[in-house]
Amino acid sequence: MLSEYLPILLLFVIASAFAVGSLVVSSLVGPRAPNPTKLAAYESGNEPLADVKGTRFSVKFYMVAMLFLIFDIEAVFLYPWAVVLRELGWFGLVNMTVFVLVLGVAFVYEIGRGGLEWD
Amino acid sequence: MAIDWLAIAPEVALTVTALLVLAADLALRGDAKQLVNPLAMIGTVVAIVFAVVLWAEAPRVAFEGQYVVDSFAVAFKLLFLGTLLAILAISARYFAEGRYFQGEYYFLLLTAFIGMLLMPSARDLLVLFIALETVSVPAFVMVGMRKRDLYSSEAALKFFLIGVLSAALMLFGMSMVYGFTGTTRLEGIAQALAGDAGSVPLLLGSVMLVIVGFGFKISAVPFHFWAPDTYAGSPLPVAAMLAVASKAAGFAGLLTIAFVAFEPVADVWAPVLGVLAILTMTLGNLVALQQRDLIRLLAYSSIAQAGYMLIPFGLARPGAEVVNQAAVRAVLFYLIAYAVMNVGAFAVAIGVNRRTGERSIRDYAGLGTRSPLLALAMTVFLLSLGGAPLTVGLWAKFAIIEAVAVEVTVFGLVMASFLVVNSVIAFFYYLRVIREIWFEPAAAEAPRLQPALSLSVVVVVLMVGTILLGVLPGLVADPTVVTTFATGG
Amino acid sequence: MGMITLTIALPLLGALAIGFIGDDRRNVKVVALAASVAAFVASLVLVWQFDVTDPNLQLVERFTWIPTIGAELAFAVDGVSLVLIVLTTFVTPLILLASWDDISDRMHAYTAAFLILQAAAVGVFAATDLLVFYVFFEFTLVPMYLLIGIWGGAGRKAAAVKFFLYTLLGGLLMLVAILYLYAQTGTFAYDAIRQVDLSLTEQRWLFVAFVLAFGVKVPVFPLHTWLPDAHTEAPTGGSVFLAGILLKLGTFGLLRYALPLFPDATIELAPWLLAIAVVGILYGAIVALMQSDIKRLIAYSSVSHMGFVVLGTFALNVTATSASVVQMVNHGLSTGALFLLIGFLYERRHTRQIAAFGGLAKRVPIMAGLWLLVSLSSLALPGLNGFVGEFPILLGTFQTNRLAAVLATFGAVLAALYLLWAYQRMFHGPLEGADNEHTTDLRPREIGVLVPFVVLIVAIGVYPQPLFDVVEPAVERVLVEVGVSDGLPLEPAAVTEEG
Repeated sequence: MLSEYLPILLLFVIASAFAVGSLVVSSLVGPRAPNPTKLAAYESGNEPLADVKGTRFSVKFYMVAMLFLIFDIEAVFLYPWAVVLRELGWFGLVNMTVFVLVLGVAFVYEIGRGGLEWD
Repeated sequence: MAIDWLAIAPEVALTVTALLVLAADLALRGDAKQLVNPLAMIGTVVAIVFAVVLWAEAPRVAFEGQYVVDSFAVAFKLLFLGTLLAILAISARYFAEGRYFQGEYYFLLLTAFIGMLLMPSARDLLVLFIALETVSVPAFVMVGMRKRDLYSSEAALKFFLIGVLSAALMLFGMSMVYGFTGTTRLEGIAQALAGDAGSVPLLLGSVMLVIVGFGFKISAVPFHFWAPDTYAGSPLPVAAMLAVASKAAGFAGLLTIAFVAFEPVADVWAPVLGVLAILTMTLGNLVALQQRDLIRLLAYSSIAQAGYMLIPFGLARPGAEVVNQAAVRAVLFYLIAYAVMNVGAFAVAIGVNRRTGERSIRDYAGLGTRSPLLALAMTVFLLSLGGAPLTVGLWAKFAIIEAVAVEVTVFGLVMASFLVVNSVIAFFYYLRVIREIWFEPAAAEAPRLQPALSLSVVVVVLMVGTILLGVLPGLVADPTVVTTFATGG
Repeated sequence: MGMITLTIALPLLGALAIGFIGDDRRNVKVVALAASVAAFVASLVLVWQFDVTDPNLQLVERFTWIPTIGAELAFAVDGVSLVLIVLTTFVTPLILLASWDDISDRMHAYTAAFLILQAAAVGVFAATDLLVFYVFFEFTLVPMYLLIGIWGGAGRKAAAVKFFLYTLLGGLLMLVAILYLYAQTGTFAYDAIRQVDLSLTEQRWLFVAFVLAFGVKVPVFPLHTWLPDAHTEAPTGGSVFLAGILLKLGTFGLLRYALPLFPDATIELAPWLLAIAVVGILYGAIVALMQSDIKRLIAYSSVSHMGFVVLGTFALNVTATSASVVQMVNHGLSTGALFLLIGFLYERRHTRQIAAFGGLAKRVPIMAGLWLLVSLSSLALPGLNGFVGEFPILLGTFQTNRLAAVLATFGAVLAALYLLWAYQRMFHGPLEGADNEHTTDLRPREIGVLVPFVVLIVAIGVYPQPLFDVVEPAVERVLVEVGVSDGLPLEPAAVTEEG
């Protein structure tokens, strides 16, 4: 039974080998002429202001990222529902309304708690 | 395609309550925020009413058999809701005075209990997994609620890491079980396992993975090491929730999956769980002997109790209907008894701790004079946890040994004798606490304690319950007798 | 509600009532005493209703308890349990009266503990359902543990825990055995379980479990180590109840359960128990001789005396086995009285070291006289109650196993030695030291507590026949069930082959 999966295994092996191989080969074969400008961190064409390694991201980015993910994924549920909307009829509408209402409470809570304010 | 709303009425009641609590917390300011507690209680009572109605209506099958409300499930739902009511009552002052996030706390608590209510009804791997995660995820946050407290953060981190690991293991196991059997329905899995699939080693391995995942949840040795640190670091009502309700939910899930889905391969997992039972109770008790901190002592004692509750799993055999049903009943009865006495013990700990911040066993010295009510109650709860006569604890142990006696096997007798020896060891440390309470004089500066009214009510109710069930165990034993699994057809 | 239930319920109601009494100590004492005396009266009614000629369990009372497993609150009495019930209800009010003034700390709990103990002990003696028996048997632990731990002496904490854990372990073994019997028969009813046929192997295991449970309580020789500590550290009332009643739970259990339920195993293993009993008799006596603490001395004498009871029980003939029941009562009376006297002396002097006393007879003649009388009863002087118990035990055992009887006789001789020697060192000789000079004699209340004991000690010693009349039919019934009584002496070696 496991032998059916052999092609998939082969695919994994070849893909990994290609990825690793091209990196290794390019670093071995490619020409190298470093200068200070090339090595500088890219920051929209400006001179970097501080030591890049030491900078910490503000926790607010995480907040926004998480909120985006949550609401984005909830929204994804709407697509399959929309496709079969007519077949589901009232049953589907009622249930999706409940779903959106629950989501709405969470949204209100988020605003109330100041989750969307930057400062 | 209509939804059987009555079947999920308790869950819906809790969900609505949880949302209301969240909204109320936003709307209310200052001291008015404490109103969320009675609001949550009202919601719980409504859910209890629905559950009682369902008791008469059982069994009901909903969602094409993925969700079953049989007497087994309703018994568990009532157990969870009763525990929730008690935890709400003992949380009131604790959170109001501690300046924690009250609204969030109650919302998360209710959410976790929604997950628990789902657990015993689930007849599908996915529903089971979702229920488990609905219990776990809010718990991660609740443990870390005192976020300025290092211990609380440590507790939350450990609990989270272990929790995620166990969920991953379980999900891995479930996916393989699905791969081999081609269904996520517990019934279908049982049929497949009873056929040829039952002998594939890899499948048996994945069955074990699923069971190990639950092993973390019920803190069975060797998956127990998160429990003491987590209990000790969390806010006390949360510790009570984890030690009782969350553990009971783990057992509910384990019972369902073991005796419905994996019953045909019981001869594979039963010996493993039996050995784990022996290890769990012995290790839990031996380590509990060393504890100086009451909460850690209760934590290790609850590990040991989980060991006792695993014994009936060790008795299971494929196709042995009578033995398996006796095993399920024994676990259920033990869990009910365990909930009554352990929530009680935590309630007393909160009563003592909230005023004084005391939690070392030494600090309970002279409790008999400082608060006779709390002292008497703690004595009853600890004696019951040990299994003294005329407390419900005796009948809990009795139920386990009774299950062993249904069909006497050598392994069953070995487990029973470990139970006996461990009961004696356990008394050693329970008596140490009782000794401090009654035999030692109170420290000169120790204040007299005036527990809050709601806490006193909970303590008295649970104490009376412990003794009443100790004298008349039939009050609970009779309904649990009718408990059998309805299948999801 | 029948008289047995009433005897159990009255003290419990009293204990409950005490919970609602405020701080008035006097009321607490009065209520407690009233409840225990009421139970005594109820037990006397029980005696009146009892039919002496009927050897079976009679005056049956049953209530539904746990229907799902068929357990019933079932009570009944035969001669043996009747005698022990009356002993219990007789001793408890006297204990409460004895500690009328000297317990001031937490009076409510103290009196309630004794009332609960009284009820539990009566429950043990009257139960005819194994589960009810077990619950009462184990429940005696908790109040006794608190009595030792809260009101005991210097080493009370360790002694209390030791007492609790020893007895608990034994009890749990018995619980497993009871559940095994339940699995075989589907019932906990004593009468039904007696009918069941068990293989010899099963009987051996179950017999050993029961004997271990009861052996800890009695206590028989290697399991006795908790007793000296518990006795020494317990408050006076606790010691009296422990010696007077709780130790009897063990020997009663042997006679009521271990023998008739497992007859073949009993016959096979009886010689071993005779040996253990003899070792206990001699060991207890020799260790008692060497004690410097008078309470410890009496504690070890209990080990020795209870050895006689076990010896008589497993001699398995009517003479010895009935006498061992009588001896249970005697030991309760004389050792109980001795502990009371020690308690009264301790209140006056706050020491129990024999060496601290001397020549007291000159200062406390009444106490000295009573002490001597009770000691003589304990060492089985003819004419006092100890003799009518111990002598038939030796006589009966002699028919069964001569060696055991001869060796046990040495124990009786040693008893005279350690009791009289202790008496002599404490009450005779020169009166030295201010403490001995100023020791005061017994007060009227204290004498009043002791008089009932003394009256019974003399009465049973002079005219024991009524007691034997009550006990013998029940004992004969048990021995018939074991299969050894047609009046014939039993040769254990010969019967083993039959078994």
